[in-house]
Amino acid sequence: MQQQTITQAEHLPSTSLWRAIQPTEILRFVRSLLLAYDVIGVQKKRNRLTLDTLQDAADLILEFPPDVHSPKKFLFPNWDQLFRFKLDENILLQPETAAAPRIIFGMHPCDLHAVKILDDCLFEGETDSSYRAKREATLLVGVDCAPDEYCFCTSLGTDRIAHGFDLFLHRRDNYYLVQTGSERGRKLLQTHAPEIFAGPEESPLPLQVKQCSNQIQFPAESLPSLLGEAYEDKTWQELGHRCLGCGSCTLLCPSCYCFNVQDKLEINLQEGQRVRTWDSCQFDQFAQVADGNNFRSSQADRQRHRFYRKYKYLWEKHQRTACVGCGRCSRECLSEIEPVTVLNRLFADSSQLPASSPGSEYQPLMAQVIDVQQLSELDRLFRLRLPQTIDFSPGSFLQMSVFGLGEAPFSIASAPDGGQEIELVVRKAGALTQALHRTRKGDSIGIRGPFGSGYSLEKMQDKDLLLVARGRGLLAIRSLLLAALAERQKYGRITLICGAKDIDALIFPSDLLNWHQSGQIDCRIAVKDPQNSWGIPPQDVSYLFKDLDIDPQRTVASLSGPPEMYRQVNPLLFRMGLSEESVYLNLERHMKCGLGKCGKCRINNICVCECGPIFPYSSIKHLAEAIER
Amino acid sequence: MKTKIGFFDFAGCEGCQLTVMNLEEQLLQVLQLVEIVEFRELHSGSAEQIDIAFVEGSICRPGDRERLLEIRRRSDILIALGSCADNGGVNALGSDRTPEVLRQEVYGADLPHLYTETPHALSKLVKVDYRIPGCPIDGQEFLAILQALLLKQQPELPGFAVCVECKLAEYPCSFDYGQVCMGPITRAGCRAICIDGGTHCRGCRGLIDNPRTSPYHRILEEHGLTVEEILEQYRTFNVNERPA
Repeated sequence: MQQQTITQAEHLPSTSLWRAIQPTEILRFVRSLLLAYDVIGVQKKRNRLTLDTLQDAADLILEFPPDVHSPKKFLFPNWDQLFRFKLDENILLQPETAAAPRIIFGMHPCDLHAVKILDDCLFEGETDSSYRAKREATLLVGVDCAPDEYCFCTSLGTDRIAHGFDLFLHRRDNYYLVQTGSERGRKLLQTHAPEIFAGPEESPLPLQVKQCSNQIQFPAESLPSLLGEAYEDKTWQELGHRCLGCGSCTLLCPSCYCFNVQDKLEINLQEGQRVRTWDSCQFDQFAQVADGNNFRSSQADRQRHRFYRKYKYLWEKHQRTACVGCGRCSRECLSEIEPVTVLNRLFADSSQLPASSPGSEYQPLMAQVIDVQQLSELDRLFRLRLPQTIDFSPGSFLQMSVFGLGEAPFSIASAPDGGQEIELVVRKAGALTQALHRTRKGDSIGIRGPFGSGYSLEKMQDKDLLLVARGRGLLAIRSLLLAALAERQKYGRITLICGAKDIDALIFPSDLLNWHQSGQIDCRIAVKDPQNSWGIPPQDVSYLFKDLDIDPQRTVASLSGPPEMYRQVNPLLFRMGLSEESVYLNLERHMKCGLGKCGKCRINNICVCECGPIFPYSSIKHLAEAIER
Repeated sequence: MKTKIGFFDFAGCEGCQLTVMNLEEQLLQVLQLVEIVEFRELHSGSAEQIDIAFVEGSICRPGDRERLLEIRRRSDILIALGSCADNGGVNALGSDRTPEVLRQEVYGADLPHLYTETPHALSKLVKVDYRIPGCPIDGQEFLAILQALLLKQQPELPGFAVCVECKLAEYPCSFDYGQVCMGPITRAGCRAICIDGGTHCRGCRGLIDNPRTSPYHRILEEHGLTVEEILEQYRTFNVNERPA
């Protein structure tokens, strides 16, 4: 029943009153309130801003920065007497004294949201009557704020509030608009500022949205599912190593309420009080039981629990995060543990793809050019450092952007090594590639991706690898070969067959020579040009298969080249006994969007960027557009 | 029969005993429950048997060991009162030199009546049942521990660090003022009076059970301290707790 009272108090009247109020009138209003209530407001004490009971209305600082400690201490105090007892007469319970009627005059929207979280948690199930008594005796007056660099309320929608206050003071140029949020608030205004109450109706403001530079870079609704997949993430260990276990984060949190209960005896040992004090899930002893067992024995466990409570468990229970983005925990954390950084990192490491803003999946990230090599007259290799590590399989591609000219897909030519650096080869052709050729070491270029699924290194383990490339097809094959050479012992014989029009068209001539001479692989090269500078007899790639000795049961063939190469080579491979499942083809098309949407890379009914560009022959042989003309 | 308690002191400033005396009104109330049978600052009496002995100071002068053993023999419960008794305290900050070198540095001349050994905490020599840390002790904590013992309960010290005290009292962080503070690894229970007084925590209450020294040292390094300067922080009150 008591819970209903709160609900009624919170209930937004069908018509909120909106009245203009001048700063001097606010002062008069507070003076009048002080006659009937304890008024709690931000004031300067010992040169610091703190929320405390006002002695004089003139001390009230209505507009204050977000680093002032939260009003939690008045609604859920650290030292809260639950009852008193006498030792000699068994236990004599004395009823708790009712809280004095009071007003918290000046609460930022985030702290008003935090009260909703406390309500959720403490009214749920067995209502916490001690909290209820304070909550019901307290009127809440909200006021606008200016977020600082730690605030991230905008990411959680707690920068604005529609109800959950009795009055709210909206800052205008040199006056305020007071909005009533409950019947109690309306009466408060009527009784203590009758001239304002009787004043003309002002037009309601839309919800006041703030700006924060500190942002969670994905929709808050994804938080529970993101954390759901991150239980074993290495982030928690890292936080555990950094955390001091001091508990400041939870003590400062406006919605953390976990508590301890202890007895405090009077000096005469005749009587005492049972009190509850703030506890913290970050303390060593928090989850310890009598036999010394600790159910969250490491700081990593404790930090994870804190994040899960804030962003998953309570969300699933009450459909809102238990964090209001006030930034107090990070503002005063010596170890600089900041929820926004942690959550964004978890998100970046996750496989979740929801875009944070319309069109963001088309926005490139900026990568730095750290090396440029001229490979041939037309080909140039760019080594890039990406803003984050990427995971891909050989044959995947990235979009490279030049603002003003657009973007185009390029095969990744380096091995997937889990790092942040990749190599891409750009052949000078149109405006975009010409512009890319003009970029120098140190410049930034836009990249998007990786996209597509490539050759499966897993399926090639313990097999003999037959790699066949022609022309620019060598880019994807190089990525595959470098990956295989990095773990050479995992694979059987490796044979590379590489063909080109002439020596200049061989994209990695020095790599090819090195491979040829290294003895790690069998490297065969064919060029059609009879005048070639290497002096090799002019041949077609297919010619190199003539004396090829392979074990068809052990061999996986990876092909990358133009369709006519497949038309030529595939029959040779099948004649040698390779199965259709063990021949992989690179069917690159113009993969414009990389997201399976634009339709430009379709082969009959499949989308290359989504399903390929690397396919086993068996899965595309029925597609007329794949390798036929 | 009232519980018999006694107060004893070794090398120390007697500030902890003075803190007990300063409880004044509360001390008079305590006297309804206990009898002070020995307390040099109060009277000249002594007793054969003591229920609870509160011992201040560290052990460093000739004859100290024997006297401490003799107090232990007479007492059911022996409590280390204050930093000096608890971990050697500020007396031990010269422990990195031999007593001879230290004497020469401080006094110059050879003064036999000032001969001391390296100061030891009581627990180095006798069984210490409970401890009341601090320089000086906190009077209210003394009362709480005495109350617990009178009720045959296990006295407990806070397991968390001084940072908690600062957050609860809304004191600004010493680090924000460019001061190096031992608070993050020092046992709470002092109501952060040093921070309240405008200075930083020097760790007089000793380290918490599980001090996070590696993140703490990383923070100190980020604030520009060298390894030597970091170790120096431990010297004032925690010279024996210095990480290797």
